[in-house]
Amino acid sequence: MTNPKRDTIPWLMGLIAVQSLCAAFFVWDVLGDMGPRGLRALSNLHIATEALAALALVAGIVFETRYLMRLLRRTAHLEEQVSIASGAFHEIILAHFEHWRLTPAESDVAMFALKGFSIAETARLRGSAEGTVKAQLNAVYRKAGVSGRGALLGLLVDDLLNGGVMDGPSATA
Amino acid sequence: MTTHKIWDPFVRVFHWSLAGLFAANALIVDDDSWIHEWIGYAVAALVGLRILWGVIGPRHARFAAFAPTPSDVTEQITDIATRRRRAHLGHTPLGALMIFNLLLTMLAICASGYMMTTDAFWGVEWVEEVHEALVTWAELSVIAHIAAVLYESHRTGINLPRAMVTGTKRVPDDIRVVE
Repeated sequence: MTNPKRDTIPWLMGLIAVQSLCAAFFVWDVLGDMGPRGLRALSNLHIATEALAALALVAGIVFETRYLMRLLRRTAHLEEQVSIASGAFHEIILAHFEHWRLTPAESDVAMFALKGFSIAETARLRGSAEGTVKAQLNAVYRKAGVSGRGALLGLLVDDLLNGGVMDGPSATA
Repeated sequence: MTTHKIWDPFVRVFHWSLAGLFAANALIVDDDSWIHEWIGYAVAALVGLRILWGVIGPRHARFAAFAPTPSDVTEQITDIATRRRRAHLGHTPLGALMIFNLLLTMLAICASGYMMTTDAFWGVEWVEEVHEALVTWAELSVIAHIAAVLYESHRTGINLPRAMVTGTKRVPDDIRVVE
């Protein structure tokens, strides 16, 4: 019944925490090795390799953190949805959101709108002003090229019924 | 804008005196001086009192009130990921983790520092190395703490440093309040 992706979230957070500790230690170590010579110390193969490894680790952490945030955004609206159909619809919606390059806030607002929440309710749930939500919703409609909430929902349902995901980014990430 | 009385006087005095004493010992005072030792004892006493206060103190000071579960932490990071704004009246889950980290690190620094004054461990190298590594860890934690406080103040619209001075959180009207 539970979403397997959601079960990985605490593990992912722990992994990021541990790797951050390791990265902090290695970066500190490399800086110590470089000492007064600064960047010129990188001509030493050993130090250069260490620096590269530390950078790779940092890059990995950045990537994992972005993935975690994405995962959290994806699961934020899946609390009560366990059926395959709603999961598939959710995937289609998210694929469109990514294709339209909605910001995290716009995606969240759009999801509340699709679920039928009013602007006032969405503002209360997100802890923001109604004017902000209105502006974000307008941005969503503009990016999606639709006139309003009904048209937005229609577009998405249409895609679900046609069984395909549009040619945008993959929905199965 | 609503105001909530959150931090009792002890919590505030504790926070700022711990910050001041740690900064003094880590950055200013000579490591070999008697002042360094006495500041260390004062820090140990402060942390000890804070732990006692965490059991018998008022609501927002109690560990039981702010010790976070994994799902509390997930919810706070979800708020950040989705740009939702929820205000925790007491400590946030991530903030609470930092508090536990700092309290434990301070105790460990005090313990290793005290060991360096005893006959059994005087001049023992690993004790000194542990003491210094823990201080570096505490310094990094303090930097992370300050950065997180500034970020959260910006994100929620609540001036958190001010609340730690006055004891009162001024919460914007449109934000969602939990607890």
